[in-house]
Amino acid sequence: MSTVTPVRAPHTSGARATPGTSRRRAARREAAFGYAMASLSLIAVFVFTAGPIVASFVLALFKWDVISSPEFVGLRNFRTLAHDQTVTKSLAVTLGLAVAIVALQVGLGLGLALLVAQRRSKIARTIFRTAFFLPLLASAASISIVMSYLFDQHFGVINYYLTMLHLPAVPWLSSTGGATATIVLVAVWQQLGFTFILFVAALGAVPPDILEAARVDGATPTRLFWRIKLPLISPTVLFASVVGLINAMQLFDQPYVMTKGGPGDATYTTVLVVYQTAFQNLQFGYASAISVLLFLILLLITAVQFTVSRKWVFYS
Amino acid sequence: MTAKISRRLLLQAGAASALLAGCSSGSSSGSSGGKTLNVAFFGDQSAADKAAKAAGPFLAAHPGVTVKFTGTSGTDWNDFFSKLLTQIAAGNAPDIACVATEGLQLFAAKGLAQPLDEYVKRDASELKPFFADVHPSLIEAMMYQGHLFELPTDFNAGNMFYNTSLFKAAGVDQPAETWTKDDFTAIARKISAKGGGVVGWDWVVRLWGSWTSWMYANGGNLLTEGKWDGGDWLWNTFYPGDPAAAGRGGGWKWGDPTANSAATVEALDFMIELQKQGLSPQPDVGGGDTLQGLFASNKIGAAIGGGFWAGGLHNAGMADGSFDVQYFPKWKTQRHLFGTAGYGIFQSSKNKDLAWEFLKTLVQPATIDLLIPGNASTPTRKSMMTPQKYADTGPKNWHVFYDTLTKFDNTAPIPAPPYYNAMAIALNKRTTQAMASGNAQSALDGLQADLETAAKAG
Repeated sequence: MSTVTPVRAPHTSGARATPGTSRRRAARREAAFGYAMASLSLIAVFVFTAGPIVASFVLALFKWDVISSPEFVGLRNFRTLAHDQTVTKSLAVTLGLAVAIVALQVGLGLGLALLVAQRRSKIARTIFRTAFFLPLLASAASISIVMSYLFDQHFGVINYYLTMLHLPAVPWLSSTGGATATIVLVAVWQQLGFTFILFVAALGAVPPDILEAARVDGATPTRLFWRIKLPLISPTVLFASVVGLINAMQLFDQPYVMTKGGPGDATYTTVLVVYQTAFQNLQFGYASAISVLLFLILLLITAVQFTVSRKWVFYS
Repeated sequence: MTAKISRRLLLQAGAASALLAGCSSGSSSGSSGGKTLNVAFFGDQSAADKAAKAAGPFLAAHPGVTVKFTGTSGTDWNDFFSKLLTQIAAGNAPDIACVATEGLQLFAAKGLAQPLDEYVKRDASELKPFFADVHPSLIEAMMYQGHLFELPTDFNAGNMFYNTSLFKAAGVDQPAETWTKDDFTAIARKISAKGGGVVGWDWVVRLWGSWTSWMYANGGNLLTEGKWDGGDWLWNTFYPGDPAAAGRGGGWKWGDPTANSAATVEALDFMIELQKQGLSPQPDVGGGDTLQGLFASNKIGAAIGGGFWAGGLHNAGMADGSFDVQYFPKWKTQRHLFGTAGYGIFQSSKNKDLAWEFLKTLVQPATIDLLIPGNASTPTRKSMMTPQKYADTGPKNWHVFYDTLTKFDNTAPIPAPPYYNAMAIALNKRTTQAMASGNAQSALDGLQADLETAAKAG
């Protein structure tokens, strides 16, 4: 009777492993490394985004001046909110500013992208792309400070040139119309690079054979834009509108630095109200309630945008 | 299975990190061994470093102790207070803070400031020279609900600065002490008539030294005036028989809003009228740096300023003699407003006794000079008001800075209740509304409603 010795893989010590074990270990190591890398972002999201969002919802049910202990007040903050004309007015102001800013950003961004796309010179296109994108890299607060000097009624460069042309100096930041227009102008100028780059990329992705076929069929440039390009880049228009509106509804730096919300409440945006209510009036609970309201309004607006988009956005 | 465990561990680690992050923010002066006094200073760090020199004599007398001045800049006092309160909320309360009239009641009412009564009573004989040198109105402005919360180091009353060369060019005599609102308007008209972008008068939207000075001169105020009971111990100890201390109480008690009273509306209407006539431009909101710059550039005939303008205009390049100062013009009264600043101790300080010793040092004349170098403010100690002090900076009429307090005994601090921050925001908003719309009554009706809401919220 012969004995059969099973064939085994060499297994003399733990230092050696089968190919399957090695792969599992490598996979575990890789997973651990991946989790380690992701954990930094997850912690950051948890501590700086998710945590504060949850905290805002909870805080909205309290009266808290950060110095004394929080007092649970239930929905009282929301009931007060319903009759707070300052908040109501600030929401109207913010919505007005946001609509103006988004309309200009999308319109101008698309217009500039079309103009730049027509440039044959690659260098010219690069220069324009860089020039329009650069303001986006600077902080909104820094830009607002510089703009305050440019638009200053007394020392401002703009009024200096107006006076040189024998035109009256304009109270850019201290008249209702002037302040509103200036805030919109500065916000649009700074954010324009974002929508511009989006549209440059979207227009670049339009299949050239479709455009060529349309041209062969005799489509004019105007018809080409309205019938081919715009439908094909409509998802980008939707994205730019949604993101632009969410950003614009949180407008803070420009009115805080340039007008302090004035004159009167002409540029008194909701986030400025939240800031002053929380950090100057020390009503953190009430400020959180305003934040929650703003969040819900943004959610509603975005939902409406997406619902309406089914009728005009073309997903090829 | 491994993946699930890893995720769980990851979440646990994340939660632990978050907790650690949340718990690590707090620190107190006590944790540094009880030998460091943290002082919150209104200004940038370079200004704070200069002010820190004031700690020299104290440090010499207290070896082993460290005093750390931390500067916090801001556009105005309420901006500084917001940042300071945020620091406190984060668990970084200083031992001592520089707080002006604007914030005294805010900090006292929230229980953040330590009443100094017991310390003052204990060291009464040591403090007698200080109180004898300081006008009682400045002391009373540092009291709340019968308690003293700060020893004032400097103050500024709202006087009227004027540009002597613009006055001369317009053929206007330098104003007399008893000049009136009509005299002022006539002068502003003459100076504005010269053209070239020059205006007779300019101002800043804020509580101190704004249109509110006209409101005081017109007998109005934003809030009902009253006095807290108490404080007799202080007046009887330090100001016995002093007529300037008669009627003083335990601090200013700001009552119901009166922002849309006839006198207040009339004062803001006067500003609108000056603007309509081209005698003043649209005012800026803020601390007044732009205003000083315009004044130093010979673009403004007159503007409200306090003792701090002497140093400010000198630093802006104006030579002594190119500007001067006079009392605020008389309207229904010649009542002035003022704001005073000093240093107070925080309730949370673990070094209160040491902080008190430091406070006593801060009100010595040599120390006050270091705190407000180059006439950056008016010292609260009258003995420091000398011709030598203003020899380099001017103005010639420097004596009005302090004499405002003695000459006009109805002069009072700016109305700064515990809800000062909300009030300052509302005041700025409604003033700019009035100036943009030209309707003072409507704007001040709004301010009245804002203040009523703020008073209720507390």
